Amino acid sequence: MNDSRQITTLRAAAVISSTIIGVGLLSFPRYMAVAGNSAGPFVALTGVLVSFFSFWLLASLCRRFSTESLFVFSRRLIGRPLAMFFTLIIWLIFMTLTGLTARQFGDVATSVLFNKTPIEATIFLMLLICQLSARRNIIKFSYIHFFYLPLIIGSVLVTILISLRNVDLLNLQPVLTAPTASFWKGALEASYLFQSSFVITLLIPFMKLPKQAVRAGAIGIFVSGAVYWLIALACIGLFGAEETKLLIYPTLETARSAAIGEGFLERLDALFIVIWVISVYTSIYTTYYLASYLLQNLLGLRDQRMTSSAVLPFVFVIALLPENVFETYTWSLMLGNVSMLLLLGYPMLLWAVYWLRRSGKRGLS
Amino acid sequence: MQAWKEKYASYMQKQNQPSSVTPVPGNDKISLSLKENKEDLLDRLGQSGDLVVRDFLLFGRYEAALIFFSSLVNQEQIQEYILKPLMDRSAGHPGMPDKLADMSHYIWNVAVQVTQGTTEQDLSALPPAIVKGQLILLIEGSSEALMLDMRQIDIRSVEQPQTEQVIRGPREGYVEKLENNLSLLRYRLQSTDFRIEISPLGTRTQSRVALCYLDNLADPKLVAEVMRRISIIHTDGIIDAGYIEQFIEDQPLSPFPQVQSTERPDKTVASLLEGRVAILVDGSPFALIVPALFNQFFQTVDDYTERFIMGSLIRMIRLIALAFSLFFPALYVSVISFNPELMPTDFAVAISGGRAGVPFPAVLEVLIMEVSMEVLREATIRLPQMIGGALSIVGVLVIGEAAVSAGLASPITVVIVALTTIGSFATPAYNTAIALRMLRFPLVLLAGMFGLYGVMIGTILIINHLLFLESFGVPFMSPYIPGKWRDWKDTLVRAPLWWMRRRPSFLYTQDSTKLPDSVPGTYIDQILQEGGETGERFPTDHDPARGSRNQ
Repeated sequence: MNDSRQITTLRAAAVISSTIIGVGLLSFPRYMAVAGNSAGPFVALTGVLVSFFSFWLLASLCRRFSTESLFVFSRRLIGRPLAMFFTLIIWLIFMTLTGLTARQFGDVATSVLFNKTPIEATIFLMLLICQLSARRNIIKFSYIHFFYLPLIIGSVLVTILISLRNVDLLNLQPVLTAPTASFWKGALEASYLFQSSFVITLLIPFMKLPKQAVRAGAIGIFVSGAVYWLIALACIGLFGAEETKLLIYPTLETARSAAIGEGFLERLDALFIVIWVISVYTSIYTTYYLASYLLQNLLGLRDQRMTSSAVLPFVFVIALLPENVFETYTWSLMLGNVSMLLLLGYPMLLWAVYWLRRSGKRGLS
Repeated sequence: MQAWKEKYASYMQKQNQPSSVTPVPGNDKISLSLKENKEDLLDRLGQSGDLVVRDFLLFGRYEAALIFFSSLVNQEQIQEYILKPLMDRSAGHPGMPDKLADMSHYIWNVAVQVTQGTTEQDLSALPPAIVKGQLILLIEGSSEALMLDMRQIDIRSVEQPQTEQVIRGPREGYVEKLENNLSLLRYRLQSTDFRIEISPLGTRTQSRVALCYLDNLADPKLVAEVMRRISIIHTDGIIDAGYIEQFIEDQPLSPFPQVQSTERPDKTVASLLEGRVAILVDGSPFALIVPALFNQFFQTVDDYTERFIMGSLIRMIRLIALAFSLFFPALYVSVISFNPELMPTDFAVAISGGRAGVPFPAVLEVLIMEVSMEVLREATIRLPQMIGGALSIVGVLVIGEAAVSAGLASPITVVIVALTTIGSFATPAYNTAIALRMLRFPLVLLAGMFGLYGVMIGTILIINHLLFLESFGVPFMSPYIPGKWRDWKDTLVRAPLWWMRRRPSFLYTQDSTKLPDSVPGTYIDQILQEGGETGERFPTDHDPARGSRNQ
């Protein structure tokens, strides 16, 4: 009954996709429009592919050590000190990511809907529920994502489908664009949204079929990629690229302009914000969970109950550090760059050591 | 009979002198002297008004005594089936043994007409037996006592269950006596696999607790776990099944019940058939069913006895009511005081017109109304029915009409509060309804502080809590999360009975098949099996079996 390998492939995919769909949902089309004008959806697609490549690098490595998490087997591969160093860096990255995501959420929430709630309270409440739920084990962690994902995807899809009626196909042409510098920048920016698919390293030791980790990630990334892509498509198609660039939260505007019947469901944006808060919660929850799990790993504790409380003040302070929205944005771009480097470089390093050791063993025998 | 004055004097005397006789447990055999035995027994049992010691001459020759509590036995039957045969016969009756040692066997085999009884040589075993309603026969010169079961307790007759009424379905509810309740179960579940384990619990009350399950069906691990949890209960008294519930539940701090309690034998049987385990306690008209999941708390017997479409629709209505009772006041408060732009304009104007004279902020107004509603509800439960009716009329008048005209509340608040209360009464399980009703207060407070955002934070907390809960190793939200698709047939909707071929997978039953695969479930199956639609034949050959499925 209490088998620890309980996470099915589908549930792992759900964790990944509900993690990825998050705070970026509202402003994503703007970045895509800036990067590729009418080819915004194409930029998004490229971003998805890029992020899937980095995910594949990581997951296929972890798959070979299906009983341990990355932070355990890396110690054997590259030695304890170096592995600890990298774990420390990844911990810092995810803590900062949690803080910045919470800050972005707070900025949006206070400026759009909850303008009477102070931003500190907004952020703190969000972090608090993450802390409370981060005390549970990974099985329960996956339950939460699996429960909320259909709600998130369902209502986002409904909104998009409703607004697709008004899409002007002319706005979306030309579909392709020559890969300029800004194109690649946009694709990378898009792929930053997918970085928390790193959570697969936590899931693999608990998966029923760890061999299917890559497949789970593929489903997860492509489902959430499809959601992002559709949103970019709907916004740019609805407003045109130039107009989209001017809107701060184009997705919200899309939801606002969508209506079924004559006033039957008028205020879809309210529903959309509600769902968006949930989706932000699931993604902050994941990064928070990762942060407390990594800290537990660094300190060698039994479980992450204590570290989840210890992380809270740090994350809260990080969330309050940026002076304004612009600073938050630049910081998170910088963080994206750093973690992109690390999440590509670290698995590559591990892969290299892994191959070296394997061929070494073969040479001996 | 002593007067109270003398009683007081003798009681005080006894309190002042330390008890000289400390009964040694274990090795005190029944002595040959009747007088000694009697004194010893009376000493252990203390002085009770209903303790009867009836001395008589057994078969006209041997001195003997019957000891029993008159409150626990049927005295007429004692006269008829015990005293009469024992006093009527003369000593020279054929077949009567000469030796006193064989006398108790003779009495048991030939003389008394009682179904249950044993012989006992240990004196210390006698007082507990007397307390349980057994009758003790002691004979001068014999070292064996005869314990005869003459227990009879008057109970109320089987009535319609008070808390779980149904439109269609059995009308029987449990009563207090365990035997009756078990017979109600056996009568419905005539299976040789049906097992009932009975054992006393509670060092002082010695209440008998029965554990019911279906052997070869229920998960042995589950049965073992329930037994283990009951076995480690160490308390002086089990008054009701509710006491056991609180000892065996997984998460005592949760507002949600993790054990289902029911008054209905048919519901218990249905749960047993699914592979659950039921616990009954002597003296309690409630059975406990474990594991209990969130899903179960808004299901009723009617869902299954009515046809499936109606059953499913009504179940959805109930879910809506449940959502009403939890979210409505909080949403109202947050929309009114934080996001009025979410309301349609006309409606917003109407509401602000209604709220014009109300001096309080919306949170306070709703809280006042909700609390007074709870007070009213609590008051009507405890009152006798005649007064309760009057009170509820007064309550409705005062709270509804007068509060509005006095400017305490706006009319829309009254509507919201009424909807909430009605919604919570539509939840079939009382303990869950209470949990949801109480949870709406923190939600209202959160709404008052942080608006819609607070409501969402509260909701996420509640949902997460539900997802984290477990009942006897089964996740509380199964089969939603986690679960198999086939278990969804009995969740938000109730699928047709012939479609539910398997027992719930999360209960890990030993035999998961409800319907064999060979039984065609749907009409289509049958058409495929018969190789054509039956209706295609001549309409003239009237056949009542034509439209029927084989199941």
